[in-house]
Amino acid sequence: MANILIVEDDRDLNNAYSIILNSEGHTVETAFNGEEALRKAKIFSPDLILLDLLMPIMGGLEFLQAYKLIKLHPDVKVLIFTNMENSPEVAEAYRLGAQRCIIKSWTAPHNLARVVNDSLQAPSIPAKKSK
Amino acid sequence: MSIGDGVIVTDEFGKITRVNPQALRILGHKEDELLGQWFPQKIIAVNPQDKAIPLIDRPMAKAYLTGKSISEKSYYRVADGRVIPVHISVSPILLNNRPQGAIEIFRDITTEEGIDRMKSEFISLASHQLRTPLSSIKTYSHMLVDGYMGDLTSAQKKSLKTIIFASNRMNELISTLLNITRIESGAIAVSVKMLDTKRLTDEVLTELSLHASDKKITLSLRCTGKGSTRLKTDGLILKEIITNLLSNAIKYTPEGGNVSAKINARPNDIMITVTDTGWGIPKHDHDQIFSKFFRAPNVSKLETTGTGLGLYLVKGLLEELGGNIWFTSKEGEGSDFHFTLPRNYTGPKTDEYDPKVNKL
Repeated sequence: MANILIVEDDRDLNNAYSIILNSEGHTVETAFNGEEALRKAKIFSPDLILLDLLMPIMGGLEFLQAYKLIKLHPDVKVLIFTNMENSPEVAEAYRLGAQRCIIKSWTAPHNLARVVNDSLQAPSIPAKKSK
Repeated sequence: MSIGDGVIVTDEFGKITRVNPQALRILGHKEDELLGQWFPQKIIAVNPQDKAIPLIDRPMAKAYLTGKSISEKSYYRVADGRVIPVHISVSPILLNNRPQGAIEIFRDITTEEGIDRMKSEFISLASHQLRTPLSSIKTYSHMLVDGYMGDLTSAQKKSLKTIIFASNRMNELISTLLNITRIESGAIAVSVKMLDTKRLTDEVLTELSLHASDKKITLSLRCTGKGSTRLKTDGLILKEIITNLLSNAIKYTPEGGNVSAKINARPNDIMITVTDTGWGIPKHDHDQIFSKFFRAPNVSKLETTGTGLGLYLVKGLLEELGGNIWFTSKEGEGSDFHFTLPRNYTGPKTDEYDPKVNKL
């Protein structure tokens, strides 16, 4: 159905999300940090990226900045994974073009699948232009 | 003068007439460098990027112009070139309502800012570190129950549900503690977007449905009013508020009861009411229900898992969204918790909206 790139440093969660989204019929690629995600995104052409914010080597915000600067896939949907709701980092992620935030510790598998499917069907929102 | 803070006195022309030793120590100046000098020229105020603040924006100028005391946080560039955060209070000296001078009291708040920054960093780190293992517990437990790894016996499913409930309770507790710390530190970031309150409430009801069905409690949602159920607000904060109220309603309602959410879409706001047929709150406890750590004694004996923080948190979060909360309750019959959200909320510290004007 869609190409989904999962960017999450926790291997257990990365594996779980892969199983859930594969079972929905999506083609899934995974990365464990922002740097690896940038490399894989170039080849894989994701329709949607599930992006954790706090990761080693390159975090979610740095990845978003680099991704937008390179303008790899303008229509890609980005969903932020975090446990840091209401933080300035989440607000910055929205500013950089993220569509939605998913709280990892709140979100059950069937809800994850639903949120991903809903986001794939929603129209793309362009990233805010910087001043 | 002997006082812990820096004190500077100026005359009607803004020239420095007195300065105390603490002020000299903070600013790194000698007394003869300041006395008789024009205040704004010698006491350099800048923004955090080290750009000079215009004279008209400085508390001293505002105090002279308005005749009122002004209190503000600012930054001073001191003699050795460093920029330090300061808290300033300026009071004009008036004679026949005309300024004859002013007294400025200020203090270096570098240490306080450092502590606040450390608190915020700790909150973020604790949030991530505590919740990551919980995420795994919840995710894999749900995957097992939902059949992603093959069929299970009903006894296995029941055990997994116990694990899920326990991890949800732990997660709620972490969430509550961290959000309260954030509110009290002023570290909540409100991110306003258009959303549908009906859809959000529905989502929360779905997430709580397992818990409710275990207690044979019926959940329902209805919408009234002619306005739209969509409005601009922070979805994550609102979800936390609704989850807390519905979760409380389920917790404090005995088996076989009802919990309902009603969304009233009014012209200027949306009012959401959570109603339960639970144990209710005795009249003599009504005043304390939003207090930190308060749990009404009539339920503490029956339901031991509460922390007394949920409603304190809900009230604090609603204030961040420009909303208001109140309730009606009768012991033995149940409770109604009502809260309002203004439409087109733009951010914290809005003072235009009065929910009581629209209360039915």
